Amino acid sequence: MVRFENVGMRYGLGPEVLRDINFHLRPGSFHFLTGPTGAGKSSLLKLLALSHRPSRGLITLFNKEVSSLARDDLPAMRRKIGVVFQDFRLLDHLSALENVALPLKIAGAKNAQIYQHVAELLEWVGLGRQVDAKPPTLSGGEKQRVAIARAVINRPQLLIADEPTGSMDAEMGLRLMYLFQELNKIGTTVVVATHDLELIKRFGNPVMYLKDGLLTTSGPAQAPAQSSRAET
Amino acid sequence: MMQLFGKSAELQLEKDVSTRYLPVVISAMIFLAALSIGGLFSLNNAINDWSETLTGNLTVEIAFDPTADLDQKVEDAVDLLTNTPGVAAARAIERDETLKLLEPFLGKNTALGDLPVPRLIEVIIAQDSAIDLAALNDKLSESVPGARLDIHRPWLDKMVLLGRSIQLLAAAIMLLIGGVTVIIVIFAVRTGLIMHSEVIQVLHLIGARDNYIAEQFQNYFSRLSFLGALPGLIVAIIVMFVFNFLVGSLEASMLPPLSVGIEGIVALLLLPILVALLTKYTVRLVVLKSLGRMM
Repeated sequence: MVRFENVGMRYGLGPEVLRDINFHLRPGSFHFLTGPTGAGKSSLLKLLALSHRPSRGLITLFNKEVSSLARDDLPAMRRKIGVVFQDFRLLDHLSALENVALPLKIAGAKNAQIYQHVAELLEWVGLGRQVDAKPPTLSGGEKQRVAIARAVINRPQLLIADEPTGSMDAEMGLRLMYLFQELNKIGTTVVVATHDLELIKRFGNPVMYLKDGLLTTSGPAQAPAQSSRAET
Repeated sequence: MMQLFGKSAELQLEKDVSTRYLPVVISAMIFLAALSIGGLFSLNNAINDWSETLTGNLTVEIAFDPTADLDQKVEDAVDLLTNTPGVAAARAIERDETLKLLEPFLGKNTALGDLPVPRLIEVIIAQDSAIDLAALNDKLSESVPGARLDIHRPWLDKMVLLGRSIQLLAAAIMLLIGGVTVIIVIFAVRTGLIMHSEVIQVLHLIGARDNYIAEQFQNYFSRLSFLGALPGLIVAIIVMFVFNFLVGSLEASMLPPLSVGIEGIVALLLLPILVALLTKYTVRLVVLKSLGRMM
């Protein structure tokens, strides 16, 4: 499903922010990604989301080596990946329904098909009554649910979430995590980056621990061990 | 057409302050371009008219001589010309008619009658005749002292050269206007790309192709260019009409009125469409090139 082999990454001519990253995520698995601020979590997520290319090493997604993928082939690969940003990145001038419909519209789906799916999905995330609301009128939790709905509308094989509970209270955070679990149960591979150790302990999924650009541990929520190779 | 003028649904380029004044700039450019086109086609038509009028049309000039019988000289010259093979007609231009021809240059003046003006004969050459004008000139000078055949060619050649030079200048101005328009559009697009980089990144990550993003930019900018071009063109047409009115109202005008002809009208009407297309493809190239640098 996802395989990183000796992956390194740097921005421009700067120092490497990720070094010798090796891991393999099986289809349908659920992982937490954690580590101190500046450890490289966001950079790792950028590589997973195909937003950046590695400066070295190999990344295999859905059985295809993507680190040197042609630009024209990227959109099709990205449509298999759903991304939930920490700051939601919703388009403020579009309604909740239009925001969620965007990936389908971009993929060229028909309008009738789009709006039926989107309405059902918004109902599922508990926003059935706010389909026409614009993001500025929604609460943090509601925005996050719109962002999640947008990330999963294409039925992605891989869902990536960067600090999805960072801007909401504990109860709302838990509800979101249950939502991710539901998605995971229907076969979506989920990677959630978070600082919230309580949350990690509570759910007990395998954890990837990043420190100083190195992936130092992997496994259920436990204390980090010195290892840069992970098989989960 | 709907595709060409579609709105930028996700990028909301319509709300950009940076592009608000682009139609004004495009309008000014199109105003100048339309005037250049007007000048270019008018001049072309004028040159063709001159050539058509003066080809096959000659003038015999008999120099003023107070001691000679000018009327007799004119009569002799007309007889000689009429009997020359290849000459379709020869008509003596009366002295009053000649003085009238000078009025646009010297104004209406009673003193005109005292001027030592030469006598003129209008000669029309038969179509497809191979007349030897140099030999005719020699023969005329021999038979009628002081008579000279004016074939207008040197004057026409100079006028055509002047006209073509001005046409080249107008074409260079058009190119300059096109170049400046492209540069302005490039700067506006680059600003738009920077301002909307976050939304572009989101669109990319949810699977948008570069074409999808480029289309939003090119549709918006070509719409701006088209709408900006219309007032510029309308004002330029009004200016041309005013110019023609002023030229027509001057009795002694040496300026020809602007007459662009059918080709010129078509070129003027195509101008907004051409600028919209130029903008569209410029924007497309710039956006695709810039997006190509992203992952």
